[in-house]
Amino acid sequence: MTRLLPVAALAALLAGCIPQVVPPDYSKLLAAAPRSILVVPVVNNTVEVDASSYFLSTIPVPVAERGYYVFPVNLVKRVLEDDGLSDASLVHAADPMRLCALFGADAVLYVTIQRWEAKYVVLATTVSVGFTYVLKDGKTGDTLWREERVAAYSSDPGSGQGGAASLIAAIVSAAVTKASPNYMPLARQANAQAMGPQGTGVPFGPYRPEYGTDYQRPGMAAPPPRLPKPKPKPKLEPEPEVRPGW
Amino acid sequence: MGRRSLAPLLLALTLGACVSGPTSFYHWGTYNETLYAHYRAPQEREAWVEGLKTTILEAEQRGEKVPPGLYAEYGYALFEEGNTTQAIAYYQKEAALWPEARFFMEKMVRNAEQRGRQPTTPTTGPAGALEKT
Repeated sequence: MTRLLPVAALAALLAGCIPQVVPPDYSKLLAAAPRSILVVPVVNNTVEVDASSYFLSTIPVPVAERGYYVFPVNLVKRVLEDDGLSDASLVHAADPMRLCALFGADAVLYVTIQRWEAKYVVLATTVSVGFTYVLKDGKTGDTLWREERVAAYSSDPGSGQGGAASLIAAIVSAAVTKASPNYMPLARQANAQAMGPQGTGVPFGPYRPEYGTDYQRPGMAAPPPRLPKPKPKPKLEPEPEVRPGW
Repeated sequence: MGRRSLAPLLLALTLGACVSGPTSFYHWGTYNETLYAHYRAPQEREAWVEGLKTTILEAEQRGEKVPPGLYAEYGYALFEEGNTTQAIAYYQKEAALWPEARFFMEKMVRNAEQRGRQPTTPTTGPAGALEKT
């Protein structure tokens, strides 16, 4: 019995870190096979007004590391602002196909901040963040992938944290400081967990050597990285009401 | 090393594997931190722009691909400072390295060219200073 205990503990731990969710349907995402992802400014459903721009700085790295071309987030933000689209909720409400056509993007990633808070109780500080990620196809407007992630850290010494918990605590200890909580490690952790794991995350993109090895793609037995083709220019003939000034 | 000490080690390794991410595919330098700092305090723009330039140079020197968007972000910083010629050069670098960016970068180049023909009031900034020839 005692010999089995570590194994059981390990299994329990592993189960704890692998999300127990039904794998999403990747058929649309694999069929669309986007090469480039446009990350638009983030909608913020929290009272922390600065959270959206702070979050924006954390998202290009995990998406690009996944093997996709990520449009320059700061430049995209400025361009949209110049076009009078400084309100992120307006951008999210706009037609994804038109949005992608403006930038020549294959897909657009919408992130909504659901939680960005620090709670102080006598001895404990809890910092938590929560995001919704939705990837839409630039050609059809269909939702290709959707994920929700929460990351939290509590400094509560009395919450029965053992050695394992303190290990996590060590990793994200930067999250809690008395003066101002640092949400960034948590945001990065949430992004990494959203993008990464097989079965829930985004499949590897064309710039990763693993592309095509993680999921069976329709009509591709062993897909070699495709040579990028010059994208046919989307017709700008029916000019949108908001005429871009660039 | 006894059998007893093995279990915690294994545990730590398992946890470590599921908490920490994989090693970086691209060289990002200070990208994350300086963009965050810039958004937190606009006066940190200088560090953001210099960080872009440094990261680009480091990646080029290592013979690695400059991460997506960095040439474009740097080009835009130059554009903001009125250095349209250099801005266009960096937009074109982005388009050459990443075919997915070509359409957008062509637009940005046209935009910069248009602005370049108009009398502008060039502002000096870190990017302009770095690109001084």
